[in-house]
Amino acid sequence: MSKELSRRELLKVLGAGSGLLLIHCGPVPPLPGTETDYDWEAHFWGYAIDTTKCIGCNACMRACRAENDVPEGVNRTWVERYRIDAHESVRVDIADKGDYVFEPVAGDVARAFFVPKICNHCEKSVCSQVCPVGASYMSKDGVVLVDHQRCIGCGYCVQACPYGTRYIDPRTHMADKCTLCYHRITRGLQPACVASCPTGARMFGDLKDPKSTLSTVLRQGRYRLLRPEMGTHPKCYYLGLDREVV
Amino acid sequence: MSGQLEKNDFRHTYRLIAVLVLFVVGAAFARWWAVPETFGQFGRYRGAAVASARTETVPRYVGEETCADCHEDQVELHDKDAHARVPCETCHGPGKEHAEAEGEAPIARPEGKGACLVCHQRLAARPGSFPQIEWREHYKFVGVADESVECTRCHDPHEPLYMDRDLRTARLHPMIHRCRDCHQGREDESLERPENHPPIFECSYCHGPIVEDFAGRTHASVRCTSCHIFFREDESTGRIIRDADPRFCLLCHRAADFRSDDAPPGIEWPAHREEMGTFPEDADKRCIDCHRENIHASEVSQ
Amino acid sequence: MDFVFPNEVNVTWTVMIVLYPYITGLVAGAFIVSSLYHVFGVEALRPVARFSLASAFVFLLFATLPLLIHLGQPTRAFNIMVTPNFTSAMAGFGYIYSAYSLLVVLEIWFVMRSEFIARARRGGLVGLCCRAILLGNLFESDATRAADHRIARVLAGVGIPMACLLHGYVGFLFGSIKANPWWSTPLMFVIFIFSAIVSGIAVLIFHYFVVSWINGWKVDQPCVRSLGRYLWGFMIVAVALELLEIMSIAYKQTEEWEVLGQLIEQKLMITYVILQFLVFSLVPFLLLAISALFKLRDKLANAIIWTAATMLLFQVLLMRWNVVVGGQLLSKSMRGFTDYFPGLWEKEGLAVAAVIFTLPFGILWVFNRIVPLFPNAERRSA
Repeated sequence: MSKELSRRELLKVLGAGSGLLLIHCGPVPPLPGTETDYDWEAHFWGYAIDTTKCIGCNACMRACRAENDVPEGVNRTWVERYRIDAHESVRVDIADKGDYVFEPVAGDVARAFFVPKICNHCEKSVCSQVCPVGASYMSKDGVVLVDHQRCIGCGYCVQACPYGTRYIDPRTHMADKCTLCYHRITRGLQPACVASCPTGARMFGDLKDPKSTLSTVLRQGRYRLLRPEMGTHPKCYYLGLDREVV
Repeated sequence: MSGQLEKNDFRHTYRLIAVLVLFVVGAAFARWWAVPETFGQFGRYRGAAVASARTETVPRYVGEETCADCHEDQVELHDKDAHARVPCETCHGPGKEHAEAEGEAPIARPEGKGACLVCHQRLAARPGSFPQIEWREHYKFVGVADESVECTRCHDPHEPLYMDRDLRTARLHPMIHRCRDCHQGREDESLERPENHPPIFECSYCHGPIVEDFAGRTHASVRCTSCHIFFREDESTGRIIRDADPRFCLLCHRAADFRSDDAPPGIEWPAHREEMGTFPEDADKRCIDCHRENIHASEVSQ
Repeated sequence: MDFVFPNEVNVTWTVMIVLYPYITGLVAGAFIVSSLYHVFGVEALRPVARFSLASAFVFLLFATLPLLIHLGQPTRAFNIMVTPNFTSAMAGFGYIYSAYSLLVVLEIWFVMRSEFIARARRGGLVGLCCRAILLGNLFESDATRAADHRIARVLAGVGIPMACLLHGYVGFLFGSIKANPWWSTPLMFVIFIFSAIVSGIAVLIFHYFVVSWINGWKVDQPCVRSLGRYLWGFMIVAVALELLEIMSIAYKQTEEWEVLGQLIEQKLMITYVILQFLVFSLVPFLLLAISALFKLRDKLANAIIWTAATMLLFQVLLMRWNVVVGGQLLSKSMRGFTDYFPGLWEKEGLAVAAVIFTLPFGILWVFNRIVPLFPNAERRSA
């Protein structure tokens, strides 16, 4: 045993990473209160946003911050306001400061609308593809997650995401992102943003269940994806999305 | 220069080779040792990380059912009114601490006009069908002189359709109003609207863009109130709802041999659904789910 | 055109990530110069062959330092070798870098074994260190020298593709990010290799002149002229590729150009158009052309070559800056740009960058004290 220890010490000295010692501590820990009957192979989670219903109240953003302790300056979800004038000139802004309230703005508007943004939990997620250490991955139920014991904070995933939904947490110096509230959905709850949306603009559901609201809506085929040309196969489906939105 | 080299001439490299072999073996061993136990269990990641993702964070948004455990009356009222679909915690914030402390820990009680205007401030980007105001305009319209008066003096956020929470008689939507709701001093109630009265009973007064859009659609001859009916719940409660019952569409669109050629296109129902190749799961699909284009744009900018 | 995704307001990859491809470029370039002599037998480069190998080595020592400073979790750096995720373009970095480092160390061991033996025999603490480096075996004969030479040549030969891989790979890291139109081009790989060679040759010329000047040595004229010609040739290819890339995007006038054109116009006009191309590419090109095509007096030719080399060092640094930082200034919303300039004293700031870039020269000085890198340097006649 002492021999084992000294070998470990030696490796530590060699700089193999002291963090590794913590990781190497036995089998998968039990999940208190959550290992009930959740079968992750029985689900494949998707998300839909009906942009015609979004009123831009930012309740989702507030809920996300409170639920997931997201620090100021970075965002797991946000709402974009598009104002397009008669000459197709597009102005976009967000309310990510202070109380997260959109203020009225003067100016001619031919059409205007809100577009909530969130991690697309792409089926072929680039962020997981480019993570050099396997800290970013997609769970079997279709959620792209970050392993905070392995992430080295290189930022490659942040660069690779075409949707700008990843960030480096200024406190932990690790990559972070929307988890679809994995701690909630695996307990049978809805993600905080969906649970707090007053107009039902945000929908969350199981793509493996043909009877889920999400599946029913998607079968009609009237949705659009963000930047489909990236080949990422996003799982966030937009209903009623304006052509200007990318 | 090189000539024939013999094996002996490389003897000085043996120690180097030995060191290299040691290095490679050592590195391989170190790598083997350092790989986390559950890495690769499900894929090219640490399997135990999934468990952490489930447990590291605890839900703070507890949901309406938890609120109802203590605030049953409030929740019941809320569920009957226009804010029925607004979750409790959207306004009150996460309720975990409050619920766990059985009410001892405070919960957010949003105050001021801002709390309402978060959703109801008129913004060009808000869907036209969503109720929204410019509060100064609104105050002027309803005759509130004191700007410091809060919205909650007239509207209870839990039951916003009531104008006065004690009387519970006045209702918000103009279509539901009787003259006396606003003009309390008047005894006689005429069916005629005075000339100078704002046309608040006409849909276009508030929903201009949608009405305008609708006028250009195939159903322009159908009245708004044919679908958006006034639903009376009891003696004092009522609301405008959106009716999308297929039976209503079929009143005009059911195929029948007595119809003239210029009658609206007729179909067989429910055979029409199968003809369109609808999935069995969509049995309760409504006409407008496919034929929305004929009604009106669901979102029109202000 | 002013909307930036909220997580992109602060750029993720700082000046440290500018420095990293810059330094690996110097490594690859310097190594290729030494290989020109060791493998391809370019005799004119003999005077700087060891110097270039040693330069490659010292820069290699510091190539990962900016990365470590930039990493959010530097103690976990070895995760990249422990659990590499091979779908990632970055995952191979640890192995490629290690293999290449090993190769350079081995080549130095074989190329300079005689010198290490001589130094070990002189004793003292340094001698003891040399003995340790030689693993205690000080035996030497003509036959071992011939064997070392042959091994060194093989290593140098293997090293060329590896140097290209190491650095082209850095280009690939950027070029494969499909989300970023400023980076996403297959040419990136090639551009990085050629700019690496340019910077490698340039740093050797720059440093060789400085060292000779400090020590009062006479520079080896054929060697300098030859380096100048190589520099000229490689810089033409490098700059031509850089221009081709941007011109093909500009000419095709696709959707991409709508944003990239604005990026150049609004954010990169000075660093990209004016400095990288108009000043630091055009001027050295003309200078090197003059020195290569006209018969100039040695002194003038040297001054020209040194100036051109120094300018090209900046050109490549600017190119790295414009790639790494430029790409991040453009928001993936394609509707706006952010800003970035490093602070002087912050962790990933200019002072730290300057120190990192200066350290290899210091180590090289120490190296030269142990094993002379210019054994045949002649004193300048007074």
